[in-house]
Amino acid sequence: MPGIVTCEVKMHQEVSPGHYRLVVHSPQLAGEAQAGQFCMLEVQAGLFPFLRRPMCFERIFKDSVSILYKIEGEGTRLLSRLTQGQTISIQGPLGKPWPLDESIERHIFVAGGIGVAPFPALAEAMIAKLGKTPEVILAARTESMLLCEEEFHQMGCKVHLATDDGSAGEKAFASEVLTRLNPGTGTMVHCCGPMVMMKATHVACEALGIPCMTSLEAEMACGDGVCLGCVVESTIEIEAERMVRVCYDGPVFESTLINWAAY
Amino acid sequence: MGTSVDLSINLGGLKMKNPVTVGSGTFAYGQEYNSYFDVSRLGAVTTKSLSLQPRAGNNPPRLVETPAGMLNAIGLQNVGIDVYLKEKAPWLREHGCTIIGNIYGASPEEYAELAQRLEAEGAADAIEANLSCPNVHNAKTARGCTLVAQDPELVKAYTEAIRAATKLPLFIKLSPNVIDIAEPALAAEAAGADAISAINTITSMGINPETRKPILSNIVGGLSGPAIRPVAVKLVWDLSKVLKIPVLGMGGITNASDAMQFILAGATGVAIGSYTFRHPTAAMEVIDGLEDYCQRHDVAKITDLVGAMEV
Ligand SMILES: Cc1cc2nc3c(=O)[nH]c(=O)nc-3n(C[C@H](O)[C@H](O)[C@H](O)COP(=O)(O)OP(=O)(O)OC[C@H]3O[C@@H](n4cnc5c(N)ncnc54)[C@H](O)[C@@H]3O)c2cc1C
Ligand SMILES: Cc1cc2nc3c(=O)[nH]c(=O)nc-3n(C[C@H](O)[C@H](O)[C@H](O)COP(=O)(O)O)c2cc1C
Ligand code: FES
Repeated sequence: MPGIVTCEVKMHQEVSPGHYRLVVHSPQLAGEAQAGQFCMLEVQAGLFPFLRRPMCFERIFKDSVSILYKIEGEGTRLLSRLTQGQTISIQGPLGKPWPLDESIERHIFVAGGIGVAPFPALAEAMIAKLGKTPEVILAARTESMLLCEEEFHQMGCKVHLATDDGSAGEKAFASEVLTRLNPGTGTMVHCCGPMVMMKATHVACEALGIPCMTSLEAEMACGDGVCLGCVVESTIEIEAERMVRVCYDGPVFESTLINWAAY
Repeated sequence: MGTSVDLSINLGGLKMKNPVTVGSGTFAYGQEYNSYFDVSRLGAVTTKSLSLQPRAGNNPPRLVETPAGMLNAIGLQNVGIDVYLKEKAPWLREHGCTIIGNIYGASPEEYAELAQRLEAEGAADAIEANLSCPNVHNAKTARGCTLVAQDPELVKAYTEAIRAATKLPLFIKLSPNVIDIAEPALAAEAAGADAISAINTITSMGINPETRKPILSNIVGGLSGPAIRPVAVKLVWDLSKVLKIPVLGMGGITNASDAMQFILAGATGVAIGSYTFRHPTAAMEVIDGLEDYCQRHDVAKITDLVGAMEV
């Protein structure tokens, strides 16, 4: 059940230029949160910013959770000033957990930039609950934006790097790397990153004939399925169900459910 | 201190245990927020606007944050009256909630049918007719208005049609986008409305200078939140000066002292809207805060404060 918890900051560090990791103490969130879910952070008291900021759980520990975020605008810039020992109001856990399919043999993550954020928790869940270690394609514009490589290595994941400028790994798009990994029947792809990248990954998976899960982003007000502000158009043709809520029906969707034509 | 305060009100025939409800569209169908607080504590739950058929609403993007508020163009996405009656209303009833059923139709006949069905099924204790949503494309009226609520003649016709269809307390929800809000309000009152709800969101828009495109796919949307509160308080005051029927005031309320501004300006009831998104327990805290206010000011009944601004 989602709730609002005041959490103490245990650690807050810049992990690469403009990217931070925030670890907060909360047995409640740690106990309830599952990989793929997210929370809404109250950046600071007062009316600016007016809305909370959605962030997914990077990792879920015994009595704390971590959030990995990128400075995008004013809200995340203010958030980065939070120091150890201070408190922050967090609403969550929200959204549906990432589905874990026991029948799948091979799991491949496709992470673009800060889109890597939900994957460490998902890798841990897959290893613990399915006994399967996922492979990871980490893609970004440039080397300094490749995050979590070390964490995945520690979990025993095979990691493939790709950058737009060739500063690390292959100079290629993630979807190209994916195709070259020869994913066959029994493979499932899990993707999070910029919309264009998720669309390309969806298209690649369609061509390969394998299922693809995508974790979407949308501007959110309530995070709880109430305001109907965060919808994306689905491929469902029933009028009443055409719009799906990223916050409540997702954020993780089977890619074939989304109407990618709009992106 | 510690003496009990009477927070109960009678809003045009709707008895509420306290003056606090929620803005339509900011609380879905009630159940969604029950994990944060016992929603039956509210004076009433106001539903999302219900239409005869389910509506998918506008294309995304539908939402953007603004200074002290937000801009939305949801386009009245809702489950439709049938699903509401079957799946949503029973939950509200089981949990002992007082229900304000908010309705939206494309014609007086549709509004009348919606009101009649809500009453017949016992699925609302009052009807709030949304004549003022800025996010649906209504054909321009003969007098060049885009909202029913902007045309007193239409407000009269719609109110009469709904009035004839239901005996439930009938609230007419008005738009701030008018020259003189007294005109549609008096038209509604003359046609048999039991209360006026004000305000709906303020028509507004935003443009992304980098892409030169409108931020909302609908181009225009409605502004809500604390940014609009001073406008709303003024319009509630305008209404309370001319109306005999009570006012349900809303627009940017975040806490009890905001709510008191509306009550002192003449609102009998208040609704918490967008701020619930930021702070889901806001409405409950307003109830507690109003009680505390009355105790601090030695007031036995909240209704003694309605319109009690001292000039
Ligand atoms: C379910 C979900 C999970 C997310 N998880 C993470 C995460 O783990 N790490 C991370 O760095 N980012 C994550 N994001 C994106 C993050 O919420 C935005 O980057 C952040 O809200 C930007 O706020 P800002 O004030 O810095 O930017 P501004 O540009 O000032 O924000 C203005 C408005 O736009 C919204 N907004 C801006 N960018 C985005 C975006 N990409 N997605 C959604 N809303 C946006 C903001 O919430 C705010 O309402 C997630 C988004 C969603 C929907
Ligand atoms: C996301 C959103 C959806 C809304 N949907 C409706 C609606 O369906 N029907 C309606 O009458 N008003 C609707 N409103 C208007 C609110 O009920 C309220 O009148 C307005 O937001 C002002 O109050 P606030 O500033 O406290 O939000 C909506 C407002 C928001 C922000
Ligand atoms: S953010 Fe409100 S419905 Fe998704």
